[in-house]
Amino acid sequence: MKILKTKNLEKRFNGVRAVDRLSIRIEKGKITGIIGPNGSGKTTLINLLSGILEMDSGEIIVDGIKKNTRILPHQIFFYGITRTFQNVRLFEQMTVMDNILVVVTERNVFSSLFERHTEYHKKIAEEVLQKVGLWEKKDQLAFNLSYGQRKLLEIARTLATKVEIYLFDEPFAGLFPEMRKIVSIILQELRQENKTIVLIEHDIGLIRELCDHVFVMNEGKLLVEGKPDSVLKKREVVEAYLGG
Amino acid sequence: MEHLAILFAIYAILGMSLNLVVGYTGLLSVTHAAFYGIGAYTTAILLTKSDVGFFSSLILGIIIAAAVSFLIGIVLSKLKGDYYALGTFGFNTIIFAVFLNWQKLTRGPLGIPGVPKPELFGINFANNFNFLVLVLIFLILTYFASRFVVNSSFGRVLKAIREDETAIAVFGYNALYFKLTIFVISAAMAAIAGSFFASYVTFIDSSSFQLAESMFILAIIILGGLANLRGSILGALFLILLPEILRFVGFPSGIEAQMRQAVYGIILILLMLYRPQGLIGEYKL
Amino acid sequence: MNILPQLILNGIIAGAIYTLVTLGFNLIYGATKFFNLAHGVMAAIGGYAMFYFAKTLGLNVYIAVILGVVLVGLVGFGLDKLIYRPLRKRKASNMVLFVASLGAMTTLQAVIAILFSSQFKTLSQNFGTQKFFIIFGGTVTQTQLVILLSAVLVMAGLVVLLYKTQFGRAVRAISDDEEAAQIIGIDTNKIIGYVFFIGSAIAGLTGILVGFDVGIEPEMGSNLLLKGVIASVVGGVGNIYGGVLGAFLLGFAENFGIWKISGEWKDAIAFALLITFLIFRPRGIMNK
Repeated sequence: MKILKTKNLEKRFNGVRAVDRLSIRIEKGKITGIIGPNGSGKTTLINLLSGILEMDSGEIIVDGIKKNTRILPHQIFFYGITRTFQNVRLFEQMTVMDNILVVVTERNVFSSLFERHTEYHKKIAEEVLQKVGLWEKKDQLAFNLSYGQRKLLEIARTLATKVEIYLFDEPFAGLFPEMRKIVSIILQELRQENKTIVLIEHDIGLIRELCDHVFVMNEGKLLVEGKPDSVLKKREVVEAYLGG
Repeated sequence: MEHLAILFAIYAILGMSLNLVVGYTGLLSVTHAAFYGIGAYTTAILLTKSDVGFFSSLILGIIIAAAVSFLIGIVLSKLKGDYYALGTFGFNTIIFAVFLNWQKLTRGPLGIPGVPKPELFGINFANNFNFLVLVLIFLILTYFASRFVVNSSFGRVLKAIREDETAIAVFGYNALYFKLTIFVISAAMAAIAGSFFASYVTFIDSSSFQLAESMFILAIIILGGLANLRGSILGALFLILLPEILRFVGFPSGIEAQMRQAVYGIILILLMLYRPQGLIGEYKL
Repeated sequence: MNILPQLILNGIIAGAIYTLVTLGFNLIYGATKFFNLAHGVMAAIGGYAMFYFAKTLGLNVYIAVILGVVLVGLVGFGLDKLIYRPLRKRKASNMVLFVASLGAMTTLQAVIAILFSSQFKTLSQNFGTQKFFIIFGGTVTQTQLVILLSAVLVMAGLVVLLYKTQFGRAVRAISDDEEAAQIIGIDTNKIIGYVFFIGSAIAGLTGILVGFDVGIEPEMGSNLLLKGVIASVVGGVGNIYGGVLGAFLLGFAENFGIWKISGEWKDAIAFALLITFLIFRPRGIMNK
């Protein structure tokens, strides 16, 4: 089933169409890759899907619910969406542990005043931090982590939400092979749990290895879509990358 | 001696409450004196013009400050960064203008004299020592209330808002509601300090609640350390002791206030250059 | 008597004063992108320097003005060199610069009060009998005409400086993108230093003029600063023309506002204007 769809989605910056009447449909429980040269609109698309940007026109449909106005950032969680950022955005002057705890505790303002984190919360934090190998560093401040560790922490943070749809913006960029392996395993485990993953990536090898389906974007439009192998062979795709 | 201790307690409450907004939530608010003033004027007016007792006036001051801060907070929520700070400047100025010009209520620059001390179980609070104990009790209450907020899940979200408001928002946290709530809580505490101030000094006028006072309280918490409650208490202690130290060192009185200003200004500059986290702060600007 | 012409004149004079403040403020903001709170106290330093040179030392008025303006420029330059530049070097956040400038403002204001006492003083010798003119049914003093003239001259001078000189090109390059300017070889620190000198000098001149118009007191800078900031935000921060537009808008809004509401609400009106713009059009009128 298609859990996430866009219909004629459009976003302009100063007249330039960063996302140009884009209509895509993302399958539930699969890893969908979004590739394309720089400036093709991939990150803008993710920003629209996660409420960071407001669409100029078009629709976003999440699990059947239609939205043709902006989904506010704090609402996307309730639509079952979570994400990482291209330039890692952590809570720098908080500990690794707190970076996770802060997204699993109570969301209601008044209830959160009367809540201390419980064993349940700590368990979730331990679970996701162990998965990315950061449990030993749980009391370190986020800004003291290495680049790779920061990316892993961001991923752990999304895992802690346990939502349905994960938007990853270049999660592998700049990672050493050992860490790439960890992230790859995590993505595959998510898929096994029938979670939906949207993955922006540049690494062709990873795309081939992980993605069930690929969308190629260029200049805000959908160029081609399909299985990784067939898409990557297409001439237009090669040209887009060389030309763009 | 009790005089200094009482002032210390009042400024400690002001410092801690502002720290909740500036140090923990990252909102550069320079309008705290406005809420301090609301508490002070509420108590002063009620105690001199009606039969309302001190503690009732305290509560009413809290309610008014909460209501005003709620409205201001909503307007401020549209502003970010430098513009937020500017907006708070604006509100402090507007509220100060109200204190100054709503003469029917506040007697403007003439001020309100003869504010009596609290009455409770027949204890004589004109006795400074008794009054000090009372303020200290409220200081302790405020401290524990602040700690309660800071150590809760709510408090953790505040820090995340300070670090990256958008990043915490996408995880389902309505930053606006959180910011508004802490702003109101902080204003309510400032009003408490104001009520005690009015009753202690027995005469208040608008000049105590201008921008300069807000900036002063900001200086206390930057010195003591942002995002650290004990830091604010330390900062308030320093504020109170400084003029005494200056006097001891031999500076002529009369220019005390200006000397204190000058020293504070220099401290702020030095802190920014060499130690942005202040004395024991947990957050570096 | 028809009060309208007087209101208009008052509005123009206020606008001229605020123009002088925003010209300096916007110049500095454009190059450094932070709100320099110490800008206001530069005006006070100017006023008091003038007091010292002209009244205490008895120097010739014109020489005193020049000395005063230069002195203030040097103070501004010094502030940048000692405090802001080191902070910029370690990429300190705007909040840090804001607080540092707050510290500078507090210190300088206090020093003035210590050296000269907080009492209100006047600069002009014969305050009660200033020459005045009647224009279109309203009165303007000689000082106020000088203020108007100065505003026009400084603005013209600044436009020439920014658009017709190499220095000005460098300043505009830095205002657009400091990093890019560095890459193409501009010594941004040196240029910014000069910008502080010029901007502060303009503020100093403002203080001197206001001193002749109404008088001087240590806190005079704060109010001028806040009005300057309001004018800048309304007109468009960092935009020279915007600042001028905002300054006159503010001057008129204040003076017409207090026509209907009593005079003591002037500041509140100014800030209500600020907040309105901050919410609905934070980039100001002239900025895109």
